[in-house]
Amino acid sequence: MIKHDVVIVGSGLAGMRAALELCKDHDVAILSKVYPSRSHSGAAQGGIAAALGNSGDDSWQEHMFDTVKGGDYLGDQDAIEEYCKAAPRVIYELEHMGCIFSRTPEGKIAQRSFGGHSKPRACFAADRTGHSILHALHEQLLKNSKSIKIYSEWYMHSLISDGSRCAGVVVSDVRTGAMETMHAKAVIFCTGGYGRVFKITSNAFASTADGVIAAFNAGVPLEDPEFVQYHPSGLWRQGILFSEAARGEGGTLLNGDGKRFMETYAPTRMELAPRDIVSRAEQSEINEGRGIDGKDFVHLDLTHLGEAKIMERLPQIRQLGIDFIGVDCVKDLLPIQPTAHYSMGGIPTDINGQVILNHGDGKATPMEGYFAAGECACVSVHGANRLGTNSLLEAVVFGERAGRAALEYLKTAGFAPINESQEKTKVLNQVEEIYQSDGSESYNEVRTEMKETMTSLCGVYRNEENLKECISAVKDLQSRFKKGKVTDKGKLFNTELYEIMELGNMLKMAEIIATSALQRKESRGGHSRTDFPKRDDDNFLHHSLVYKNGEELEIKKRPVTITKYKPVERTY
Amino acid sequence: MSVIKIKRFNPEKRKDSYFQEFNVDLKPGTTLLDALNEIKWEQDGSLTYRMSCRSAICGSCGVKANGHATLACQKQAENLLDKNDVITVEPLGNMPVIKDLVTDFKQFWEKVDQVKPFLKNEQAPPEKERNQSPEQFKLIDDSSTCIMCGACYSDCNVLEVDDKFLGPAALAKAQRFVGDSRDEDTLERVKELSEPGGIWDCTHCGECVERCPKPAQPFYRIKEIMTVALEKGVHNNNGARHALSFTKSIKNSGLLNENTLPVESMGFTNIKGLLELVPVGLRMLLKGKVPPIIHKPCDELNDVKRIFKELDQ
Amino acid sequence: MKFALYTGCVARGATKELMISTMKAARDLGIDFVEMKSAACCGAGVLSEQSPILADALNARTIAQAAKQDLDMITICSTCQGNLKKSECKLDSDAEYRDKINYVLKDGGHQYVSGKTKIKHFANILAAPEGLKLLKEKLKRPLTGLKVAAFYGCYVLRPSELSDFEDPDNPTGLEDIFSALGATPVFYDGRTKCCGFPIVMMNKEASHKMAGNALVDAIESGADVVVTGCPLCHLSLDSYQPEIDQLRQKGYSIPILHLPQLVALALGHSPRELDMHKHIVSVKELEAKLS
Repeated sequence: MIKHDVVIVGSGLAGMRAALELCKDHDVAILSKVYPSRSHSGAAQGGIAAALGNSGDDSWQEHMFDTVKGGDYLGDQDAIEEYCKAAPRVIYELEHMGCIFSRTPEGKIAQRSFGGHSKPRACFAADRTGHSILHALHEQLLKNSKSIKIYSEWYMHSLISDGSRCAGVVVSDVRTGAMETMHAKAVIFCTGGYGRVFKITSNAFASTADGVIAAFNAGVPLEDPEFVQYHPSGLWRQGILFSEAARGEGGTLLNGDGKRFMETYAPTRMELAPRDIVSRAEQSEINEGRGIDGKDFVHLDLTHLGEAKIMERLPQIRQLGIDFIGVDCVKDLLPIQPTAHYSMGGIPTDINGQVILNHGDGKATPMEGYFAAGECACVSVHGANRLGTNSLLEAVVFGERAGRAALEYLKTAGFAPINESQEKTKVLNQVEEIYQSDGSESYNEVRTEMKETMTSLCGVYRNEENLKECISAVKDLQSRFKKGKVTDKGKLFNTELYEIMELGNMLKMAEIIATSALQRKESRGGHSRTDFPKRDDDNFLHHSLVYKNGEELEIKKRPVTITKYKPVERTY
Repeated sequence: MSVIKIKRFNPEKRKDSYFQEFNVDLKPGTTLLDALNEIKWEQDGSLTYRMSCRSAICGSCGVKANGHATLACQKQAENLLDKNDVITVEPLGNMPVIKDLVTDFKQFWEKVDQVKPFLKNEQAPPEKERNQSPEQFKLIDDSSTCIMCGACYSDCNVLEVDDKFLGPAALAKAQRFVGDSRDEDTLERVKELSEPGGIWDCTHCGECVERCPKPAQPFYRIKEIMTVALEKGVHNNNGARHALSFTKSIKNSGLLNENTLPVESMGFTNIKGLLELVPVGLRMLLKGKVPPIIHKPCDELNDVKRIFKELDQ
Repeated sequence: MKFALYTGCVARGATKELMISTMKAARDLGIDFVEMKSAACCGAGVLSEQSPILADALNARTIAQAAKQDLDMITICSTCQGNLKKSECKLDSDAEYRDKINYVLKDGGHQYVSGKTKIKHFANILAAPEGLKLLKEKLKRPLTGLKVAAFYGCYVLRPSELSDFEDPDNPTGLEDIFSALGATPVFYDGRTKCCGFPIVMMNKEASHKMAGNALVDAIESGADVVVTGCPLCHLSLDSYQPEIDQLRQKGYSIPILHLPQLVALALGHSPRELDMHKHIVSVKELEAKLS
């Protein structure tokens, strides 16, 4: 058994930021199924939001309002307020740590426009902002290597808990295949999103719902899973991301007729409307036959920006276009389509990253010693739709807060008792089941069908009929999964085994997303029902909480915290 | 059908490595990573490699394709086909192989650690950001694009023969801080980087520039560190002495003086180093293979001297 | 064909045989070389360690000198070729930088103009279709049966965007020349690698290992002789050869020729005329094979 004061699962921005908060006083383990600097935070391109006011006036209040409105009034405003207030400080802290940022001529952090933000407040490092912050935090991790032990390429199987208090995790060293229990006084999940359940996604292969499903299996509900963000500029067919910064810098969207179709959908903000609106606009154009040559993509036009600006501000995007589709955006138009990008929902936490089990009688019951931050968590600051550049900020702000909350908790907490062999046996049985099933089903086909099902039936536009079909198809895939055929039964770096376990997690997640989408009979933010095209505040101005109830899913509600801004109609 | 020929290694099953061929129908738009995935998911689930973002930013999927390191996700497979319609895929070089295309990055990361890869600045930070001009930012723009994929490390010609060399990735990371206007430790850094195994052990082969999937291009970053080291007066090593002697020679004659360069590079007080020059010097002398004793300058030397003067050297 | 010949420093110094054989080969082929006597050193990638702008300014001056004579430039050293091209590329891609350098050059009566002068390594002239045709026409002593291994020199291959070889990762230009001369090219992995010369003063052991690995590879691939387009590689592979452990342990040695020496041999010159006796590694066996 391995013992640490605190175990952080996931080493993206949130996980590393949490580790830095704890490492001065505690023995910290940070565990990742990839090497920390390969975490998916690094793929974020466009920026990180903060009302620094380096490019004209700005205020945290405006940032807050934009975030509330962008989230279609489903975000909890107490959390959003703290979050927007904290933004400038955390950016300055990153800068002091050594994080690089593009600069204004006066040497300040440069800021640019982004969808849904009324002011240019995206701080950025060219078009590799996530990469820049990820590496800056990784540098700090290396600097503090005496008190932070990195478990690189370790896979987390399950959360150990008695239902009310968390005691550790069961993990495997991918390299050796050795399974271990990690006993900890506190556990922080920063395990990211689950875009990989969809066929067209910007997400890394690693974004597979391991964290959220481990929480779910331990009795933690998942909040607002129906809210999945489709990013408007995914590379056609591949889903690879072309940053919204491309539009922030002046890029336009054209349909098959060569028309800037955003005029129809968001005449004021045009291409810089929030992502849910732009993605729906693209999907409508495509569905109505106005894609390019009638196909399922539209064009992103950057040609008028000029080579110099593209090379200064968007060099990576240019290279991606050249490498992946042979299109140089300096001269030609990029083919794009909506791509599953971000999960607004996740493990419910309070404003300090403390995981909350339920809210009976208006009182929150925490799972003691268990914290979550970043994309895997739902605070909720993004509500029904996240604004671009708000996710990096969320990871840093709530990574820090979860770290601090854990620090506070560790002042009094000790190790909870665990039954090591029982916890390990549960997971070993799962592995054994996979090895022994020796069935005839191809895991690859199951995975492919799941992804296609989710993109076509639970994508940008949804309706009751499709969602029911989706749920039934996913359940069918879940049973086929149990009859899968494995080829590699070795212990050494068995990536096939982990892919299978990831698929198991994703199949559960797909069911949860679709089931929660089915019950939300309204359209709000990233969740758009053609059969209920309007937002319905009377019946649905609340968060969804999906609980595990045996093999069934049980959905409960939690009210939205509204402080400053009462819901009004959302137009751009 | 094209053939992907993959170097397999699984010590759980077999001691040695071997090549295995897979037939794949490469549709346009298929990256090398897509092709590997197709093999893993449809033909042999035991094929093992790393991957994650599949958009050339996480640095996981470095492999050798046709003998040269690359990111599998960044290359269109059809562009890698040789004339027999084959792509040969092997694990990265200069690292031990764990299984198939997965290599052990332990030493790679240890070397990154050695260059103290974090900003050093003991001053109390200002209330807001530290100022840095766009020009200052530009000095670290390229090195900060490194994704630590190990492609440069894999193909580095020096590492092939000397594993004490810090290698291109760690040195590019070092430049990220040597060049950072906010870092206070420049002199200490360039001193350490001028030690054996550091910048002056780079052999200029340019492999790292060629393999780097990003603008980081370590060789150019190494040269930037050299410039700073020379500027800061870190001259007490053969590399620096060599550069200074070279420059002096061109300044005085427009051309390289091959007689003085080796001696000045070793340093006049470096008896051991000077003695090392004796065998090759003697061999060349005996064959009459020596530069003229009186070094002849180029014509129009004054113009060269004028340029030196105008550019303040 | 008339070119401005940029000899480089080493062909005037330690490897004068390169200069001698270049002039003989050129004369036989009917190529007119005008030696650039007032050109300065290319910097060899070393001057730029101290001052990148100084290296670029001297190279801009050199290129401008050729342009003034309305001639394209020929180099006979991979290192010169690579460094001149690198400066050219920097000057061409940055107008501000170019202006700054031209301001310095002005008083010497020189101006760098982008694209006016091409810079080519002698090997690339010979490996072009017209070059190969010319070689075949003028061939006097076909090198039949001679197994020749190329050693390219890093600077003519990398960075690939500055290389004149079609596929710098897998070039065939030198081998095409060998075939045109009647010899049999030997392909081996080490032919595109580094000879180790740049660090012979800093890390002698590593330097010699690099040279040794390449030479063992060439020898074990069956080569009789290694031919290089870079006099610095020549120094590393020839002058230092007796000190290379891998070769000593195996009892190996192999003669190293400059490319123009091989060409001039095939055009009928004797090894003596080409100063091959000045090489450290004896060419006696090679001579025997040729006769």
